[in-house]
Amino acid sequence: MIRKSGWLVFLALLATVLLLVYVFAGTAIRIGMVYTLEKAVGAEVNIDKVSLSLSPLALTIKDLQITNKDKPTHNTISFTQANAALEVWPALLGYYVVNDLSVDGLAYGTERRSPGKVYRGELAEDSEKVDLAEVLQLDLPDADELMARANLQTEAKGEALQQQASAQKKQLESLKTQLPNKANLEKIQADIKALTDSKIENAADLAAKTEQLKKLQDSLKAEREKVRQVQQQLTQSREQLETAVTELRNANAADWKQLQQLANIGEGGLAPISQILLGDVWGNRIAQLEGIYRLVKPYIPEDFGKGEAADAEPEVTLPNRILPLPSQPYPDFLVRNARINWLIGGGEATISAQDITAQHHIINSATRFKLDVQQLPKLAAFSLNGDFAIRDQMVTNLNWDMAGLALDAMTIGDGERALNLAAGLLGSTGTLKLVDNQVEQQAQVVLQQPDFSSSGNKYIQQLAELLNKQAQIPLTLKATGLVSDPDVSVRSPLDRLLGDALLGEAKEKIAALETRLRQQLDSKLQQQLGAQSEWLALLDQQDSETNALQDSIDNMLNAKLASVKDNAKDRLKDSLRDRLGGDKNKEE
Amino acid sequence: MLTSLAKILKVLNSEASPWQIGWAIGLGLLAGLLPFGFLTLVILLIVCLFTINLSTFLVVWGLCSGLMFIFGDALEALTWQYAQQPGLLQLLASTEVLQFLHLHHTLVLGAFVLGLILLLPAAWLGAVLVKQYRLRLMNQLQQLKIVQMLNATKLFQLYQKLN
Repeated sequence: MIRKSGWLVFLALLATVLLLVYVFAGTAIRIGMVYTLEKAVGAEVNIDKVSLSLSPLALTIKDLQITNKDKPTHNTISFTQANAALEVWPALLGYYVVNDLSVDGLAYGTERRSPGKVYRGELAEDSEKVDLAEVLQLDLPDADELMARANLQTEAKGEALQQQASAQKKQLESLKTQLPNKANLEKIQADIKALTDSKIENAADLAAKTEQLKKLQDSLKAEREKVRQVQQQLTQSREQLETAVTELRNANAADWKQLQQLANIGEGGLAPISQILLGDVWGNRIAQLEGIYRLVKPYIPEDFGKGEAADAEPEVTLPNRILPLPSQPYPDFLVRNARINWLIGGGEATISAQDITAQHHIINSATRFKLDVQQLPKLAAFSLNGDFAIRDQMVTNLNWDMAGLALDAMTIGDGERALNLAAGLLGSTGTLKLVDNQVEQQAQVVLQQPDFSSSGNKYIQQLAELLNKQAQIPLTLKATGLVSDPDVSVRSPLDRLLGDALLGEAKEKIAALETRLRQQLDSKLQQQLGAQSEWLALLDQQDSETNALQDSIDNMLNAKLASVKDNAKDRLKDSLRDRLGGDKNKEE
Repeated sequence: MLTSLAKILKVLNSEASPWQIGWAIGLGLLAGLLPFGFLTLVILLIVCLFTINLSTFLVVWGLCSGLMFIFGDALEALTWQYAQQPGLLQLLASTEVLQFLHLHHTLVLGAFVLGLILLLPAAWLGAVLVKQYRLRLMNQLQQLKIVQMLNATKLFQLYQKLN
């Protein structure tokens, strides 16, 4: 039975619910956001107004301020207006697809009208400070200590060579027993001589003696085969010796490189001064990228990567998991277009991004972003662009171009090693590729019109004077490896000049250390190579013996056989001549 | 609780047909099992369009929603275990309407399937029990002192006036 007023009741019910949502949603969202953000940051959060519009479905937040809990008179972040327009159909399916996201007047560290409340406060660790005091230490390590620390391969390979030499020695001695017996050979030689020297009486005698000679030849061939086998073994042994010696020499070369690294004496002198000055600074800057990686990691789908343990799921009243569908029409979260207007250092920066998501395989496109900064009081121009995609791996590409960054006064190091930079202009171009947590970065940095000063020790003063004489200090920075602990290389064409001038005394010490290390390593090599000469002498001795035997047997086989045949031929000729001569005489 | 009991008694003793009450029980059960969503709105529309007893529907909806707090975990786990069929997952992935109904969520799917299975038996059983109650128990129950006391409470009288 149909209830005629059913539609009306249902529509009235639905309209009431929607009206309530429309009227109270803004306030509810505002209260929810303030509660959640305050819980997260531990300081007062203010939102002026949150409004919801139904067509198009959009959320607008006005005047958000998050108090800096370490400095309550200022905000950590604030913005004047943020707007997010949501697509309705994906939202009904449970996917958050934001068509346009805009944030205007985003600023960091703005002053608040009144100090904000702080609910929990912990002073942030000051990890930004750069302490280069120890970096400039020029204490050189002891050569013996370095040799002990280096875990040298030369010794291991030398021991292997010695063991092989000893094994080969035994083998070569056993080879002597396989060689033909001298007495036996002499007997065969005597037999052959007796046979060839004897007179051949007739054809039967020739046949018998040929047979005897053949037997002697066979026994000689058998002896020659033994000699050949011994020669083969000697060749193999010689090859083994060559391999072992090559390995030993390679190990020695590798050890030398390792010792150079340990002693910090690569590239013909002390490591470049720019590496000493800036290597750790740049390494720390790169390591900050790990923050981005950690920030993004929770948003990476659970099935991404190598199955790391997922964070604990938030507690819900009733569990309601989403089934692992083979495909989905939209990513769980997607911002198609985002634009952020960022108030920075007295000017403005514009950040734009497209396709922000963590499920790039669904939209088959990477997240692209671009940052443009123009004419700030302390920065002439800066542009950064790149892309970011999570597929089989998380890959981030960055390119930047910065010009005319005016450096604030800063101090590198402290105490006697303090180097003050009063002013300077910094320019840089570079690229960075981040694959998961592996970084590969290359940058050109130019410090122009530097103004260094120092009241520290004479080396630092010399360094400051030298640096001030340069119109510009170009640097090439490379970083590879784990983003939290990258292998940083900082090089400059001025390295040699600065190094020679600054480290004049130190260079003598370094040269002495290098010589000492080289001598110790060479003596180790010579010591280990001792086994080689003994082995080689044995091989040479065996070689000469076997060669002599081979020659002797070959001579016996060839010469005597020919002589027997010649002898037999001569006798036959004589015998025939005698016969023919006798017949002629008879006829005459 | 007292109001719910009074509501049930009033409906049982009213002129409403046993099938109207039976369907209200079945649909109330289905709506109660389901988390609130588009499917709940569809059930509400059906209840509004057809002469289904609203009081019974609302009471059973409330009761079953409460029951889900006890059995929800088990139902969800069971659904997660048995719903991992490639064919079903493919169907859910390819049809956006099914996703619109949130049937790719374990609890919704489990509750919807269980509710559909129980819908007819619950409606039929409800109708039969109402018939049997009216036939055998209604007059005897009306004679009980506790029921007379309940009927005499101000709350019940107020409820009757409002209805």
